[in-house]
Amino acid sequence: MKRLLPFIIILGVLGVAVGAVVYMSRPKTLGNSPASAANSTAQARPSPAPTLGPVKTGVPGADPPHTLGPATAPVRIEEFGDFECPPCGAFHPILKQMRQEYGDKLFITFRENPLPIHDHAIPAASAAEAAGMQGKFWEMHALIFEHQNDWKLAFDVRPIFEGYAKQIGLDVERFKHDSTSDRVEQRIFLDGKRARSLGVNSTPTVFINDREVPFQLLPPETLRVLIDNELRAASQK
Amino acid sequence: MVSVENTDFRTSTKWIYVVAAVLALVGLTDALYLTIQHLSGSSVPCSVTGGCEEVLTSSYAVLAGIPLAGIGAAAYFSAFSLSILAAFGYRSAAKLLLPLVGTMVLVSVWLFYLQAAVIRAFCQFCLLSAGITIALAIVVFLAWKKGS
Repeated sequence: MKRLLPFIIILGVLGVAVGAVVYMSRPKTLGNSPASAANSTAQARPSPAPTLGPVKTGVPGADPPHTLGPATAPVRIEEFGDFECPPCGAFHPILKQMRQEYGDKLFITFRENPLPIHDHAIPAASAAEAAGMQGKFWEMHALIFEHQNDWKLAFDVRPIFEGYAKQIGLDVERFKHDSTSDRVEQRIFLDGKRARSLGVNSTPTVFINDREVPFQLLPPETLRVLIDNELRAASQK
Repeated sequence: MVSVENTDFRTSTKWIYVVAAVLALVGLTDALYLTIQHLSGSSVPCSVTGGCEEVLTSSYAVLAGIPLAGIGAAAYFSAFSLSILAAFGYRSAAKLLLPLVGTMVLVSVWLFYLQAAVIRAFCQFCLLSAGITIALAIVVFLAWKKGS
């Protein structure tokens, strides 16, 4: 028996390791899952637990903020994002999908929260803000996120963002000037100040009606449940 | 085939190999966690202090289609198995352990360089793995010195 013991131990560890990998490797990505529209009946959806965090108001961010949808919409979604952060890039199509599904029931705000660990996060935020000064924040926001892998490893990102500016029909000279302007810097600073006042230290951090959404609830299927809950609460008022 | 040579295998050396097995088990758990993260496609948010997402989504996280963490898990499992066998007196296993752990140290140094100089982000789980490998190398070297 003693001769077999080391082999029993080794096989036991191997069994546990293989079992853990097989059991826990089921896909649970932040990206879109096939179970989107097909599962969109309220009854079929699981109730997420835990739900949203406590209500937080914080200090105001840059004014006016970048928003989509009517300010009177029953569900206000505020995202603190970093353009170089891969999960923010993964969250971008999710929010786009929510907007397509819920339309004017959502009021979406994007706040700049470039993290110091990302080399190009501030130039990317500046490019989006500079595009915003010509009324095309969301167009630039979409391009930067959708092409994240094209520029995040580049040495100099400015020519790439200038290319995007040209692509969306901006005045490129003005864009180049605005990207380094005090106004753009001030807007990023103010959004960052709001992020810190709300205790935001990672991205994407999302608030629904001023309550923080835990990161694990950001996939579309759980986000839908949270939005539905808010819509239901609003209709009962 | 490893040979069984239980005679005159000192008890203190056996316990050193038990320590090596425990370290390898901790390393295996860490590597398995990263493998599961990779296979399940789980996202971790980017944080002010962390760089895990950058490291784990970089092109260096996969080698010939196999997640690097999985290769690490296989290496830790091999180190664990050899340590257990060595603790039970299989001297050939003890002899194989030294080159295995030596290779793991070299790979860890290379991965540390990649994080520091190429990806320019550190993943705490990868740093933990490097620390465990270094500790494992020290323990295995001590056991080898004692045993030889």
